[in-house]
Amino acid sequence: MPVDAKLSHTAAMILQAIHAGHIYGFSVMQMTGLPSGTVYPAMRRLERDGLILSRWEQQAIADADQRPPRKYYRLTRTGKTTLEAAYKRYPLLERMLPSPQSTLRQSTLPQSTLKEQRA
Amino acid sequence: MRSIRVHSVLFARINLRAASLLVPRADRAGWSAEWSAELYYACSARRCAADRWMQTGPLAFSLGAFHDAFWIRCNHLREEPLLQRASPIRRGLILATFAALAVILCLCLPGARQALLPIHAFRGNDLVTLSSAGYAGAQAPTIPLENYLEWQTNTDKLFSDLAWYRPAVKNVAMAHQGTARLSTGIASGNLFRVLGIALPGAPSASYSGPSLILTRKAWRRWFHSDPGVIGRVASIDGRPVRVASVLPDEADLPGQMDAWLLADQHALAQLPRHTKGFALARIRSSAFPAPRGGIRIMIETRDGVPRCFDCISVGWLAWQPSANFLFALLLACLALPATTALPLGDYPSHRGHRDRLAFAVRSRRWFFLVIKFVLVLAVVYPASIALAWGPSLPPSIALMIQVMAAFPALLFGFRWVLQDQRRRCPECLRLLSNPARVGQASCNFLSWNGTELFCDRGHGLLHIPELPTSWFSTQRWLCLDSSWLCLFSESSSTSPGMV
Repeated sequence: MPVDAKLSHTAAMILQAIHAGHIYGFSVMQMTGLPSGTVYPAMRRLERDGLILSRWEQQAIADADQRPPRKYYRLTRTGKTTLEAAYKRYPLLERMLPSPQSTLRQSTLPQSTLKEQRA
Repeated sequence: MRSIRVHSVLFARINLRAASLLVPRADRAGWSAEWSAELYYACSARRCAADRWMQTGPLAFSLGAFHDAFWIRCNHLREEPLLQRASPIRRGLILATFAALAVILCLCLPGARQALLPIHAFRGNDLVTLSSAGYAGAQAPTIPLENYLEWQTNTDKLFSDLAWYRPAVKNVAMAHQGTARLSTGIASGNLFRVLGIALPGAPSASYSGPSLILTRKAWRRWFHSDPGVIGRVASIDGRPVRVASVLPDEADLPGQMDAWLLADQHALAQLPRHTKGFALARIRSSAFPAPRGGIRIMIETRDGVPRCFDCISVGWLAWQPSANFLFALLLACLALPATTALPLGDYPSHRGHRDRLAFAVRSRRWFFLVIKFVLVLAVVYPASIALAWGPSLPPSIALMIQVMAAFPALLFGFRWVLQDQRRRCPECLRLLSNPARVGQASCNFLSWNGTELFCDRGHGLLHIPELPTSWFSTQRWLCLDSSWLCLFSESSSTSPGMV
């Protein structure tokens, strides 16, 4: 998928949520507020397009915690590049669902800049 | 609250199970596992507030699974080779579906069903309606009562039996049923004998007055299909009449009657002699052969002056919607060359051509064209009948509406068939793709400009000239041999990442 391809806002939100560390479906649903009928098909499409990758958690780990195994998602290199391109189109995306890096970056900014961004 | 949560988890599990059945078998296990895993976390979030629980809890999550399953199923169908957009079978299936819907619509509307399947209860080809105004007279009363009374004596050699009726609106009053305003045909007593309809219901020995025959439509509408109505005495204009029988639906005669009042000769003679009505007759085979459509005959009036009348076959009238459709078809065929070019293009089909298409390939292409034409007819015919004859309009208006609907639909349908055929690969019959404009209109000398399309399976290229010239007048197909195949690959046309 080309880097400059246009993502829908929903797809960009899901990418950003995964980037922000919400790496399984229900967590993405909770963070984005999108319904389950939207999130899972969208994640399948993103996976088909090579923007995210999924893997099942090992059964042993899940058994140890007495819960079913999770399906984890992570951004691919293309996914990250596409998400960065999407920030230009959806500038508020990073603020809506801040990723750990951006939180860290924001905390190192001067207070005046932070106030401007909040405004 | 606790019981609600327990029940919602139970329902969520049932929903997920049901949703997983909608997923294609190959993907079912994966999706089922993911949903089950996610449901665990949806249930774990139970400590949130009640309203939030209803929005994002297990039940809401499981209902979303149906959306997922629907999306998976749609994607699965889209990836079916036969159902892809470019596939000729998909096109055929869509047309066949429309045709089936149009037929179902026709069958649901009683008027349209009667026009689509003209099965009537009148027996024999020798039944005619007499008219003094050509074919228009078959739908409007044109025969005066005095003519009918004369013909009873002087047309023995022409007709074996003769009946007459005139449409009128009458108030039919019946005890415990109220008064119904019915379109009533005042008819000679032999009407149903002439029509060849055996009426159910035994004649009453105790009653010798006029009889009223209800149509099934009126019986349902005004008397709520009450079987007790038959045999009872009603009142029309203060005169008693006995309801003798109910007619079958198929016995529909011009005038759209709700009921028939069978009057004897004496009662008919009391009507004004210039009252116009419909005359029906059985032709004597020794007089002249039964007409397929209509035939004009001369009958002498009382004062010895011969007058022309048309004998129009009642059986033929039932086929009028079909004849009308054929007329619209003829008009559409005549108008088609004015809307699009008829040639399908220059394809290597003549003998001796290096890339000549195989006979089977050419036959399949022509077969596909014929099937599309047939399917367009199969869509338009019942649809036009449903539109025109469904709302129970007068026949003359219905016939006009049918032509006005069928003509443009056939014209644009046929135009689409030809255009669709020109945009298809002659070998695999799939739609050609990736149009590219080539050349410039200002550089036409020894060159050409136009559009090129190619078959995404690498069968060839189609060149469509922008301006037809003496050396490139129509679209031309260029076959590509197998050495070109490596350049072509079917790629998905869906936009990636779009939700």
